[in-house]
Amino acid sequence: MDISTEQIDSTTVVRMSGNLDTNTSAPAHAKLDSLIEDGNTHLLVNLRQVGFVSSAGLRILLATAKRLNGTDGSLKISNLNETVNEVFEISGFNSILNVFSTEEDALKDG
Amino acid sequence: MNQAQSRSPLPRETFTLGSIPLVESCSVLEARRKIHSLASLVAGDSLLSTRLATVVSEVGKALQRLNQNARIEVGLCTKGNLPRLQLDFVGQLDSRSLGYLNSFFDHLEKDSGTGGLFHRVNVELTTSGVNRATLARLREIVEQKTRDQLLEEIQSKNSELEESLETLKRTRSAKDRMESELNIGRDIQMSMLPLSFPAFPEQGEFDVHAALYPAQEVGGDFYDMFMIDLDHFCFCVGDVSGKGVPAALFMAVTKTLIKSRAANDLSPASILSHVNSESAEGNDSAMFVTLFLAILNLHSGEMVYSNAGHNPPYLMRSNGEMERLENRHGPVIGAMEGIAYGEDSTVLAPADMLYLYTDGVTEAMDIAGSLYGEERLRERLRGADYPAAKDAVEDTVDDVWRYQGDASQADDITIMSVRYHGPVTREGETELTLRMHNDITAIAGVNDDFCRFAEQHGIPAAVQRRMNVCLDELLNNIVSYGYCDEAASDAHEIELHFRLLDSELVVTIIDDGKPFNPFGNDPPDTCLSVEERPIGGLGVHLVKNFMDKVHYERHGENNVVTLHKHLDQEQEA
Repeated sequence: MDISTEQIDSTTVVRMSGNLDTNTSAPAHAKLDSLIEDGNTHLLVNLRQVGFVSSAGLRILLATAKRLNGTDGSLKISNLNETVNEVFEISGFNSILNVFSTEEDALKDG
Repeated sequence: MNQAQSRSPLPRETFTLGSIPLVESCSVLEARRKIHSLASLVAGDSLLSTRLATVVSEVGKALQRLNQNARIEVGLCTKGNLPRLQLDFVGQLDSRSLGYLNSFFDHLEKDSGTGGLFHRVNVELTTSGVNRATLARLREIVEQKTRDQLLEEIQSKNSELEESLETLKRTRSAKDRMESELNIGRDIQMSMLPLSFPAFPEQGEFDVHAALYPAQEVGGDFYDMFMIDLDHFCFCVGDVSGKGVPAALFMAVTKTLIKSRAANDLSPASILSHVNSESAEGNDSAMFVTLFLAILNLHSGEMVYSNAGHNPPYLMRSNGEMERLENRHGPVIGAMEGIAYGEDSTVLAPADMLYLYTDGVTEAMDIAGSLYGEERLRERLRGADYPAAKDAVEDTVDDVWRYQGDASQADDITIMSVRYHGPVTREGETELTLRMHNDITAIAGVNDDFCRFAEQHGIPAAVQRRMNVCLDELLNNIVSYGYCDEAASDAHEIELHFRLLDSELVVTIIDDGKPFNPFGNDPPDTCLSVEERPIGGLGVHLVKNFMDKVHYERHGENNVVTLHKHLDQEQEA
């Protein structure tokens, strides 16, 4: 799992690459936590390069969303491939997380 | 139909798939199941199939309540760009279910055809991969018989028998009457048996042979054999107490119960427990049946068996040794409700042969009245080296006839023999076996290896990724929660088999962790908000949604999980 970040206005775009699964979720979670601790409270996780997300991945996205909801921060997620989208639909996560089809759409959304 | 024809696209028209009657509340459940399978097969969209199934279940209940002759007519229309599943709910509907239909489907057609008023919904399918083979499978699903329907068929068979019984009543003497009744009983008995051999010439993994010689007077022997799926062969031998028509009917019911239960149950213990409860209930005549039932896994050679008061069969190993499967797993079937039967398993090596029989063999008598006996049978089998199942049956039966000589046959004689040949690689089949230790970091490697296998064999990327999710979930479960010992994190091995056969991917995961059925839990509530949402159980929910069929069984010290996924429906996705 490779993670790169880019600051666009007030949003920190987090681009993940690899699979978000049992093994990669812990380091990904640590990365998201450290970003929040550094004061980046508006996160956009771009999953364009992510092949699949398992429930372990959902768990860290949920934990991050919960953490940011407690502050005035926000978590957005974009660029889900077909399988990831299905995982979100089946689990109902597409209705409880802020999901966008592209990074641009997510950034436009105020 | 040849292969090319069955794969070519269908002409543009509307095909009738069949009719699903809604006569009682249990048939609504059945309809729900069928529609779900239909939609999963052609749409490959588990959300759509689940939603459709829910609609069918809700609307079906109202339809069944409000109408005498309620049913759902199912059709497939290929006239437009995309094929459509066409569901006609035939009968009056109340406003609540109409509202329900309207909220799910944009175009609800209401019309009266020859069969009466119907409400038609069209479900557009996002696939164009519907060919003749698919059509045939769809029809199969719609026409699948439920247990009740099978029982009904038997009842109609019975009504044919009533005619014979009329004749019977008119027969003059008591002796004639008894003879005719026994004849009728024997006719039913023999008509229930699979008699054509070789029985499964297309299955290279085994050969089976059976013979039943009815006695003049007493007798209620039966046997059955059928494929549960491509990998599992089920066979049984039994002996019903009593004789004549009542015994024959009891046998018919038992046989039907076994077959319908085995269609969805790979555990002989569970099948016997179920069959016993069903047949013991209201069994006023106190009839019962001794039964030995086994399911042979043709791929692994593992044979799981359960014995309900039947003669223990012999297992002739290919190395010349002979064992007797002595374990008893419960009393005779039908005597008492609520009994939990047990089961055992053994692994057959290629050329191992199982020999089953009824007591008519060992209790055959010579003219002086002495029994053929267990010892004689055992010695006969021990001294033999039968090249095929048929030889074992014929040789031992000949020996019994010789022994019996001019004495009359006292009881039915039934013999069945099953010879295992070992797994066979079928044409177009490929497989991959992987092993990993109970180390969480090894999961990624398994997923990588599977992806390479998938790419080599053209498994669509969407299926690959779904399988990746399932493997991540299930392996994580096993490694994290499956082992309670303090041993090192790599003390256990998990075995995975991937098999690709025709257009189906079958994955088996075997672990020696504590007994745990991952599919036994209720689905999580996916409607809760972020704050309320617990996570456990979600992984398994994903697996159930992504796969066409999931199955769990405990085999000895192992958990065995099997996943089935059809590739056909994914190609257009």
